[in-house]
Amino acid sequence: MAQSRLEKIGTIFTRVQGLLRGSAMKAEDKPIWYDVYAAFPPKLDPRFDRPAPNVPVRNIFYAEDVVRAKLHKHNKPTETISLFDHKRSTQSQQFVQIYENLRAQGALDEQRIYETALDLLAEQRQQAKGTEAVEESLEETEAKSTLLSDFQDAGEQQQITTTSTPASKKTKKDYAGINIDSLFKD
Amino acid sequence: MLRKSFNNLPRLSQLCGLQGRLQSTQVAPVEPAPAEPEDIAAIEQRILKHPDYFQVHNLFTVRDLFNARVHYGHKEGSLDDRMRSYLYGSRLGHLIFDLDKTAAHLRDALNFAAHIAFRDGIILFFNRNALNAHLVEQKAMEAGEFSHTRFWRGGIFTNANVQFDAVTRLPDLCIFLNTQNNVLAQHTAVRDAAKMAIPTIGIVDTNCNPNLITYPVPGNDDTPAAIELYCNLFKEAIWRGKRKRRELLGLPPLEEAKPSKSAGRRFEKN
Repeated sequence: MAQSRLEKIGTIFTRVQGLLRGSAMKAEDKPIWYDVYAAFPPKLDPRFDRPAPNVPVRNIFYAEDVVRAKLHKHNKPTETISLFDHKRSTQSQQFVQIYENLRAQGALDEQRIYETALDLLAEQRQQAKGTEAVEESLEETEAKSTLLSDFQDAGEQQQITTTSTPASKKTKKDYAGINIDSLFKD
Repeated sequence: MLRKSFNNLPRLSQLCGLQGRLQSTQVAPVEPAPAEPEDIAAIEQRILKHPDYFQVHNLFTVRDLFNARVHYGHKEGSLDDRMRSYLYGSRLGHLIFDLDKTAAHLRDALNFAAHIAFRDGIILFFNRNALNAHLVEQKAMEAGEFSHTRFWRGGIFTNANVQFDAVTRLPDLCIFLNTQNNVLAQHTAVRDAAKMAIPTIGIVDTNCNPNLITYPVPGNDDTPAAIELYCNLFKEAIWRGKRKRRELLGLPPLEEAKPSKSAGRRFEKN
């Protein structure tokens, strides 16, 4: 059984080719990949001693890197970023966008644009925070009842229920729901 | 060579942790089905003239590669000089692959895998990254092929007949989803496959040596999302080859394993 195990010489194709040509390997023993390899040879010969190409690795930089570097040099990053979240833009991205917008308008010099962009970013964040805060406070007012107020409400409602029975079911439901929420809130 | 016309390969299949497919892989001496006038060997030769017979070019786009984070390499210090031509550049010390080159190489590799599957070859998946080992084993099973994701005992290829006490049919194609044992050493099977004249497809990261890999695919070999993408692509290419073969031979289609829910849903949301 003919075989060449010298993997450092030539490629697997040239080695098998040599065996076939010298009829050391019979045509019916030809490996099944041989014709496929001949039809679709790889882009580079898989030789052990293929020299490394002498190509320099270029650096990837963008025009906005200058201002981004400036931003990060003078400001400590405080936000937490989720790398899985592709929808939200980071503060750095927002800043660059504001900066580019301002520069497109073209009225100010670089330093002024930078400062204005910082102010605008802070404003934007303030607004975003404001809307969040408003939403939170709305939730708070809805469930502002405390344990004490619950007891008082319950007391009042008990008085009412003694006089009118049909309302009792409804009040009980409310009472139970509020009670649990407020307990965990504190 | 010992590759063709031997039927007893039970030990290799045990070793690779997959037993289901033996009937279909034992070299069925290529007999044309009665309904099919053309000889299968003639068909095999004919489809080689088509540049992309299995239509593997439509399996993925460069955007898919980007979303699976294939373009991330290691840091500059660990760069293997032989990988330089596949790089797009270095972003603040982190190497980035040129995905256009990756896509071209990956299409070549998928086409080759599909042709080997069409010719009823045995395909063996390799991976030595513990994080992705289960995923690779799962996908190899779904493709109806073999996998080896554990420690490689020397001589499994080179001394197979002694190790397994029988004449052993070796795989016809090795697919390496990562070509390194650890950060320092290359997988011994890369060398052994070259010794035994078995073609290899390998995902080579920036710290790997692509020279002995027949069809190297430059790309990230660590991230589970990327590995899952490669596995799915190779699985589909292999199935296209197998389906076509059975269709041309007039045989009923093989039952395909359903992709499991547990492995693979994790990275789909982004």
